[in-house]
Amino acid sequence: MNKTLIATLLLGMFAAPAFAGDSIKIALTGPFSGGSAPMGTSMRDGAKLAINEINAAGGISVGAKKKKIEIIERDDEAKNERGALIAQELASMDDLSGVIGTVNTGVVLAGDKHLQEKGITKIITPAAGSASMTQWSKAGAKDVSIFRFAAHDGIQSSMVVEEAINQKFTKVAILHDATNYGASGHDDLVDQIKKQGNKLEVVATEKFNIGDKDMTAQLLSAKTHGAQAILIWGIGPEMAAVSNGMAKLGMKMPLIGGWTLSMSNYIDNAGKNGNGTLMPQTFIEEPITPKVKSFIDGYHKTYNVTRIPSPVSAAQGYDAVYLFAAAIKQAQSDDTHKIKAALEDLKEPVKGVIATWNHPFSKWDPANEQTHEAFKRSDAIMGKIMDGHVVFANNADRDRLIKNASK
Amino acid sequence: MNMTIIAQMAVSGALMGMVYALIAYGFQLTYATSKSINFGQGELVMLSAFFSLTLLNLGAPYWLMVIGGLLFGAAMGLVVERACVRLALEQKSEGWILLTIIFGLLGFSAAENIWGRDDRPFPSPISSDALDFFGISITGLEIAVAVGVLAVMGVIELFKHKTLLGKAFAAVSADRDAAELMGISATKTIMLSYGLSGMVAAMAGILISPITTVGPTMASALILKAFSVAVVAGLDSGFGVVVIGICLGALESLTSFYLGSGWREAPGLLLLILALAVRPNGVFGKANIRKV
Repeated sequence: MNKTLIATLLLGMFAAPAFAGDSIKIALTGPFSGGSAPMGTSMRDGAKLAINEINAAGGISVGAKKKKIEIIERDDEAKNERGALIAQELASMDDLSGVIGTVNTGVVLAGDKHLQEKGITKIITPAAGSASMTQWSKAGAKDVSIFRFAAHDGIQSSMVVEEAINQKFTKVAILHDATNYGASGHDDLVDQIKKQGNKLEVVATEKFNIGDKDMTAQLLSAKTHGAQAILIWGIGPEMAAVSNGMAKLGMKMPLIGGWTLSMSNYIDNAGKNGNGTLMPQTFIEEPITPKVKSFIDGYHKTYNVTRIPSPVSAAQGYDAVYLFAAAIKQAQSDDTHKIKAALEDLKEPVKGVIATWNHPFSKWDPANEQTHEAFKRSDAIMGKIMDGHVVFANNADRDRLIKNASK
Repeated sequence: MNMTIIAQMAVSGALMGMVYALIAYGFQLTYATSKSINFGQGELVMLSAFFSLTLLNLGAPYWLMVIGGLLFGAAMGLVVERACVRLALEQKSEGWILLTIIFGLLGFSAAENIWGRDDRPFPSPISSDALDFFGISITGLEIAVAVGVLAVMGVIELFKHKTLLGKAFAAVSADRDAAELMGISATKTIMLSYGLSGMVAAMAGILISPITTVGPTMASALILKAFSVAVVAGLDSGFGVVVIGICLGALESLTSFYLGSGWREAPGLLLLILALAVRPNGVFGKANIRKV
């Protein structure tokens, strides 16, 4: 190899840290292409909106001076091996303040151990799989630098079961896809049915594969066994096929499932057959308060869209950045370890678009991963599909959110 | 067990089976003339569907989209023939197997880069509302698939049996050298068969897209089934694929209903193994008599 080249490279290595310290480096990771892209890009764009607002106001005051946030963007393509590589790369950066993102639970499981090893602070959003956090409590980790900012599957499945019970159903069918996500969703649902007093009888359990388009057999099985509602765990395109199949067979019962039912590829492919479908949400694209309105308008204007591809992801990305910024301000440092300590004990409430976050995290307890989970059951609401949009399923939820915001 | 439900399952499955049959028919067309098939046929279905969707999005009326899509499919068929098949056949090698697979992969990556990886809805003037036939629900779209499949195959079969050009198919298929001596250009006949095969793929894409949505992976599951159908029916059987396609589709539905949805793929594979063991030339195929 050329000596000058080596010299230049070496020079580059030493020269780079000289610029560090002028800005706060935050990495945004997620699938920005592929089937999960609506969630990944919405999360990224929501986070960027918050970062731009913070930078426009001059940045965050750390010590004596104000520092701006610098974004490092990495596309994991929803692939576990890409996620692991990206996490390794980020873990090797000395001046990284933290990471926000990841949509797919598999990617979380493949990558986060590298960040945890170096103690780099990460806020997972919007990946919901329970294993993302329970992997640390199961391993008995003494200290964890990973936080989650999403309504995890435990909350979601309990809401789905609760909804079916509230609607006075007694017989339900569970449909799920054959992936890990679908199978663990099925387990969570069965678990919740037991926990909530066995009020629901599961009359049919049916699987479908990624790419299946004809769901007649699964649906007829549900129908002949007398199911009054269908509980579903899967991703957009196949769940749209289920909705279309139900319309064809004249099955008017409700479809209730995980938050993936709000993915644009479900809403678009199911069309009018998707109307009435219910799923847990953390944010509804409806300008119920001035703050929410300015966020929605800002998103539409900045990215030139009339509908946020995944409103939940966008709002969570936005609020996650403000939590992170609050932690930096409290720590008066861009050191990732100090930020972690501050996140575990945020003194001042943070006003977000989803809620006002009052001490969302607490000191890690190996016996209870809820210490690093921000969302409680009360932070989630039921959403309903209506003419291509997700709206509030219960007006009571809307009124509650408006009341909370005005406090 | 309620008869209506069994009938509903069988009908829904059979309609899906018609699509397998149409794709399998595309295999047959080229096999008849050149004893080669396009392993990237599924990607042709997908590319043509994407192309047609683009035409619709550009504001083309529905009939123009159908014509444009079919022409695109035919053109792609010709490209496959020229790029992947002709040289291999001239050298009497089996290189077309690898080349058509590679062409399919290329088409897949191209689609991902041009149109993205998302599944998209495909609008159709035909209503997706269900109609009731003696208690069995069938959507207008499904009827359109059945009519479309039979119409396309009917027209091509008529062409093969009633026109001089079509008879060249049979001639080249029977004995390539003898046909050439009679003044039939084998190369042109093979080109024609690939063009038609591409057109059939495009037709399949346009017919099923409103039901299945359009995405890079839309045909990957279909193509395996179609291959089973083609092999079980025999690669030179014409309408035999329709019979086998319908049977396989109905069988799949019924299996997944009675044995559970995990067993859905089993009958196709069993049928394939059985056919290969008992009738290697297919249920409707003619045994090859080789004179020594």
